[in-house]
Amino acid sequence: MTRYFLRRLLALIPVAIGVATLTFAMIHLVPGDPIIAMLGETAAPSDIAEMRHRLGLDRPLGEQYLGFVGGLAKGDLGESISYRRSVASLIAERFPATLELTVAGILVGLLIAFPLGIISGTRPGGAGDIGAMGFAILGISIPHIYLGPLLMILFSLDLRWLPLTGRGGFSHLILPAVTLGTALAAIIARMLRQSLIVVRESDYMRTARGKGLSPMEAMVRHGLRNAMTPVVTLIGLQAGALLTGALITEVIFSWPGIGRLLISAISARDYPLVQGCVLTFALTYVVVNMATDLAYAMIDPRVRLD
Amino acid sequence: MGRGQGAAAAIAICAAFIFGCGRTPNHPAGYIQVDIETSPTSTDPRFATDAISSWVSELVFDSLVKVDRNGQFVGDLAGSIERPNDTTIIFRLKPGVRFSDGRELTSRDVKFTYDSILDPASMSLKRAGFAELKSIEAPDDSTIVMSTAHPFAPAMEMATQEIVPDGTPPPLYNEAPAPPGTGAFKMVRYARDDSAWLDRNPYRPVQADALLGIVFKIVPDPTVRALELAEGVCDVSENNIEAYVLPYLGAQPNVVVNESPGTRYQYLMLNFRNPQLRDVSVRRAIAYAIDRDAIANSFLRGTARVASGMLAPENWAYDGNVTKYSYDPAKARQLLDDAGYHAGADGMRDLTFIYKTTPEGARLAEVMQAMLRHVGIRVEIRSNEFATFYSDLQNGNFDLASSRWIGINDPYQYYLVFDSKMTPPRGINRGAYANAEMDALVEDGDRTIDPAKRRAIYARVQELAAQDLPYISLWWLQNVAVLNRDVTGFDPYPNGSLRSLATLKLIGPAGSEASQ
Repeated sequence: MTRYFLRRLLALIPVAIGVATLTFAMIHLVPGDPIIAMLGETAAPSDIAEMRHRLGLDRPLGEQYLGFVGGLAKGDLGESISYRRSVASLIAERFPATLELTVAGILVGLLIAFPLGIISGTRPGGAGDIGAMGFAILGISIPHIYLGPLLMILFSLDLRWLPLTGRGGFSHLILPAVTLGTALAAIIARMLRQSLIVVRESDYMRTARGKGLSPMEAMVRHGLRNAMTPVVTLIGLQAGALLTGALITEVIFSWPGIGRLLISAISARDYPLVQGCVLTFALTYVVVNMATDLAYAMIDPRVRLD
Repeated sequence: MGRGQGAAAAIAICAAFIFGCGRTPNHPAGYIQVDIETSPTSTDPRFATDAISSWVSELVFDSLVKVDRNGQFVGDLAGSIERPNDTTIIFRLKPGVRFSDGRELTSRDVKFTYDSILDPASMSLKRAGFAELKSIEAPDDSTIVMSTAHPFAPAMEMATQEIVPDGTPPPLYNEAPAPPGTGAFKMVRYARDDSAWLDRNPYRPVQADALLGIVFKIVPDPTVRALELAEGVCDVSENNIEAYVLPYLGAQPNVVVNESPGTRYQYLMLNFRNPQLRDVSVRRAIAYAIDRDAIANSFLRGTARVASGMLAPENWAYDGNVTKYSYDPAKARQLLDDAGYHAGADGMRDLTFIYKTTPEGARLAEVMQAMLRHVGIRVEIRSNEFATFYSDLQNGNFDLASSRWIGINDPYQYYLVFDSKMTPPRGINRGAYANAEMDALVEDGDRTIDPAKRRAIYARVQELAAQDLPYISLWWLQNVAVLNRDVTGFDPYPNGSLRSLATLKLIGPAGSEASQ
């Protein structure tokens, strides 16, 4: 398993270079000038030229790219143009907030998805299944930008239980995590239902029920673990989508995470910061997928990582 | 513990978390929360040029002069102002003014502030705004002499620069709290993308029941800003609430919606690089085809006044006696027919324009598109995020675009946007409008010091702009402040300045706590 992970870690290098190259190309291709965004249109041409020189933006694009990749090799993401601070320190400051929100979103998703998936998968076609899958369709259909304010109106304005925005204690985390986790819950619940329907027809499940276990007990004790492999794959894949969702959720809930940092960096055409944020998202996605592979081995003893 | 007991315990823990945590107050008693949409780009007034930075800065710093509610320059730190000749202004400082760190203000601080902006090494964004400044001298501790190379009427605008203490270094990074100022408040904490905290300046006398401080909270989503007002988390929000939410907020028992005349000017810009738009008949037809009254009353829910030009009636140089274009689609069609743009079988003419907008302006673009279609003009809307939109404007990559000017104090703005020498990359005449008479007028307006003569020049400028239509004037947006009922004393400025926050008071429970 160690060799497997070393190999996967090494694979991160070409992924990082690929993402860095794509991000570098894309941000330089879109219209907009960071110097004009910074100094304004009425700035003297000499000031514009001086600032461009100071930031190294007057160098040929290829040279800028090599400088960026060279810095990356040394762990240096450069300095933010708009914040005038190192990109690494900005990301280190904001990433925990995004991680907290994303993890909470996944937990909420699992907390909602498992009961719904089990209810649906145990008795497909029953009232519970119809209700749970109805919720799933609703959960997938409602965008974060709409669900967030709806939850705010209910839990902050009407019931006055939870704070509206900002990052603080546990209570601040609930609404953004539910907003983020609902769509995930819906997707997992549907996948779990499908897996359980397949599993419930297996010989070992019939045996379990023959031994006197109720359908629900047989499902929870024996069926669930075997139905988990596709669900874990899905969670790994959805983690990336969740990070993207966090971008919107952070804006709605004024959550000071890396998503808001990226949005302001794009507006300011802050090239180093955009590159750093996108790279962080991409590497997180890869690491989450590595963790997913590890989870396979833990869930299913037949899986060997080598 | 049995399975049932375990489940009950888990539910109890969750409930305790949810109900026990409750809502924590966002700020101490005696403070108010003001929601703003983005972070100030810099808290040092020598470096920031955006409106939000200015509004926060005005509460922390003072300047030699400030703009009053009528758009006139009046003394702020300056107790007296003399203009001995056309190129010199002498300011004498009020005595006994102190920075929030206790230091007394002298003319050295003023000179230092200007010098540090003019120093090329500072790379201050404001340097371009002082291009006409020849020198600034401090002959004694209370006198400042500002000189321009040649007569420059808007020189007083340069005296609105907020003053920092002598020796203040440039901020190392753009999240540093503001340096000490002489304003009503001092900045005690700044977390970019989160909040800026202001406490009272201890060296400024205040009434016993005045606010203790202000928390500017950055809330990017307009719906959430409205919800925060409804919930009572936010106390003041000005000009950043969507018009369609105002009836909902007005119905809330804890909220007051305060509307007052504003000077924010919305216009439709026409690109003279397009040969069809160089035809004045086409421009006038577009002006007649837009039902601005209907848009102001329905789309903007009455939060706008139809504009006759860039200067609002509150400005000293305003002249409303100009050519106006009330909604008249028949006249628009006639103008287009006369110009040779005849309608085809489908009612459309050989006129298709690209309308550039941001996603926020897309709905207005659709309204304009429908109105222009009605007279046979096709409009293709291209919506991009702000930086791309801005880049397109700078590069002349548009036919039509709607934008907004905020905080116009001096008619000098006409020179910046309509003089042919200010076509990008040199300036902000983005539509590349060129008219020799306009050039001569706006340049004369900049050189003429006598206010009466200047007013006459700008009366002609306003008429010429209305006839020639480099911009189609749309409306001046009203200032819409939404306030918590516990907040009293809000007296809005037409230019949207938040300076009035300094004199607010809290009544009700929050106020009684504050005065304890």
